[in-house]
Amino acid sequence: MGNKQTIFTPEQLDAYQDCTFFTRKEILRLFYRYRDLAPQLVPLDYTRKPAVTLPYELIGSMPELKDNPFRQRIAEVFSEDGDGNMTLDDFLDMFSVLSEMAPRDLKAYYAFKIYDFNNDDYICKSDLEKTVNKLTRNELTPEEVNLVCEKVIYEADVDNDGKLSLEDFQHMIIRAPDFL
Amino acid sequence: IWIFHGFSAEQDLVGNLASMSTSERIKAIQKMPATMKKKREIRNKVLKEIKKSRHHSARLSCGQRLQGTAVSFRRFGNSLSEYFHLLQFWHRALKIIGAKFGTSVLSYFIFLKWLLTFNIFSFLINFSFITVPQFLVAEPNNLSFTGLELFTGAGYFQQTVLYYGFYTNATITKIKNGPSYNMQLAYIFTVGLYFVICFLILLFSMAKSFCRNFINLQSYAGSASKLLCAWDFNITNEKAVKLKQKNLSTQIKEDLTEVNREVVNFSVKERAVRIVIHLASWISSLGTAVAACAGVYFLSLNNLKLFVKGHKNDLESQAAMLVLPIVASLLNAFVPFFYSWLGHLERYQTPGHQVYVTIARNIILKISIVGILCYYWVNIVATSQSQCWETLVGQDIYRLVLVNFLFCLLGSFFGEFLRRIIGTTFCVSLGLPKFDIGRNVLDLIYVQTLIWIGILFSPLLPGIQTIAFSIVFYVKKVSLIMNCQPPRKVWKTAQMTTSFMFLLFFPSFVGVLSVIGVTVWRLKPSEGCGPFRGLPSMYAAVSEWIKILENHTPSKWVVWIYYNLITRALFFFILSVPALIIAYLYWKIIQGRKTTIKLLHKQIIN
Repeated sequence: MGNKQTIFTPEQLDAYQDCTFFTRKEILRLFYRYRDLAPQLVPLDYTRKPAVTLPYELIGSMPELKDNPFRQRIAEVFSEDGDGNMTLDDFLDMFSVLSEMAPRDLKAYYAFKIYDFNNDDYICKSDLEKTVNKLTRNELTPEEVNLVCEKVIYEADVDNDGKLSLEDFQHMIIRAPDFL
Repeated sequence: IWIFHGFSAEQDLVGNLASMSTSERIKAIQKMPATMKKKREIRNKVLKEIKKSRHHSARLSCGQRLQGTAVSFRRFGNSLSEYFHLLQFWHRALKIIGAKFGTSVLSYFIFLKWLLTFNIFSFLINFSFITVPQFLVAEPNNLSFTGLELFTGAGYFQQTVLYYGFYTNATITKIKNGPSYNMQLAYIFTVGLYFVICFLILLFSMAKSFCRNFINLQSYAGSASKLLCAWDFNITNEKAVKLKQKNLSTQIKEDLTEVNREVVNFSVKERAVRIVIHLASWISSLGTAVAACAGVYFLSLNNLKLFVKGHKNDLESQAAMLVLPIVASLLNAFVPFFYSWLGHLERYQTPGHQVYVTIARNIILKISIVGILCYYWVNIVATSQSQCWETLVGQDIYRLVLVNFLFCLLGSFFGEFLRRIIGTTFCVSLGLPKFDIGRNVLDLIYVQTLIWIGILFSPLLPGIQTIAFSIVFYVKKVSLIMNCQPPRKVWKTAQMTTSFMFLLFFPSFVGVLSVIGVTVWRLKPSEGCGPFRGLPSMYAAVSEWIKILENHTPSKWVVWIYYNLITRALFFFILSVPALIIAYLYWKIIQGRKTTIKLLHKQIIN
């Protein structure tokens, strides 16, 4: 049971296991992935909780994220400073929510934050337009984008305030079994 | 003031978490939508709170020791669960497939893995309870082994544990006056228990899947959910991402033009022509299915003549045995192309409609082929004068399964590898082939149906199929990654997975249960071989055992249950009435809840 690893104290590993969906081995593996992005910045000893942050450019170049059209928003949502620069805690948090073991409501909460480009806790029409453009690689004309956004708001807005709140979004997700 | 409010809310949360059990608390902390820092803070506060309350309640040293042991137990449990993860084979391969091709293609491989676990389970049960005792009293095998038996399943294999005919009907005792093992009861109870467990597993998986994917679908399957929930965050391949984006834009454009176009009103003449075309294609597809069945039926009658005439172990008669399985597999492979062509001809209004109709026709074809084979086995082989009809049926199924496996590999080679070469060098407009999920899944269901029928006649067949499924998995995976492109059509994965599970349960499993039921209750086992030789039916083993138990006083309750509950039809009737009442009540409750939801909806809007 006692792997002689010296990166984390046992209490730190226990805390990580309690707060994420990962096992010990997976947490260590993720640490090594984090470190591989910038070996000179990340120390091998986290027992003293060093304050190391990796810039967004390194995070966005990871193979899992580099082709995802939402990678910048994902990094911004999960980073502490809101700019995409992530500490190890943020890194583990991000992969924990994106993993297959996370429940759907948790993913829906973070998906809402990802689609909310202006961070005002509502998905308004401009947020939707940006989402549609990212999803379709700017292939639709502005009129088509406009039509789509109006249709989405018309269908999903339950309390009729012209924008989607978290409850509207979650309400819609429950009825969509294909959401991942 | 709001700082104080936030603080007291946090105190409530900490108090709630402290009062839960350990596993519940961990789950609740994991599910919290907060940053890691916040979660760690709350966790530490909760642990402090628990320590404080333990301090107050129990003795100091005892509480601390208990907490220490609890922590080490949890660490042990965590490392155990890590090793349990290793048991989940193919995890990495499935992740790679999901990343490159999306969840729709992944669902085929997950279905394959699920069927594989059924087969492994069946093989383990049959091997331990039926085959191992048989090894203890095995008779020597006088036949010679030529390599051809691997294909035909006859010859040397006839006198091995592979087939029903080899199993003894005796009660095995190794030690004098020691515990005895009744082979007849073991055989029938093992097979029966396996089917009951399968039934329950299928029922619960189907119900769970249905619950998750089909409820409340009608009112919200609009474009809002299509847009916001359509992005498959699993995909990490650049080409796949580009393709998915193109899909979405095409789909959105189609949706918009649909809205603008409204329903195109056909004139009466055009509608009549369309109806005639639809009818004609349905008649031709049903006609093809009937013709296929007739062909299979007459071929199998011919097949039977080969066996009843006697065993000529020359190459010609061995090869002739393979004609039926090859023809059946050819029909299964090529008639679907005809159906897709018909589907193109009919020009349905939506492509989704076309996919469903083609899949429905394929299902009808496969059900008819399996149905005619079962009819042939139950009515003709069982009443023929052959020496050991159960072994004959087992051999037939073995050959069918083996030839189907070979055709699957060949289909992968021709359908994907050669098609890619043609598509990239000779005829570039065709492009890369696409992985046909529907056809492949139906193929899996067809093979699994055959295996389930064959368990009674050839107990080790699931083991053979396990090996076959593993090989198919690797071949399909390699072929997919080398040759195919990600799917272009939008495939409602969750709904289709539920439909496939339903197909596996309803025509496939229930059909198998009826065939096995007829075999066990009505058919007379052969006189010279197998565990049920000499009995009037296979079920007679159970009824005779009950009669023996009647004279044995301590087991009177078993006899009572058997005579008054299981054999009496009245019991099942009485059992079904409360079940129907409960189902009706649940239905009414659902109706009531739907109206409540509508009223609440109106309230929110206003």
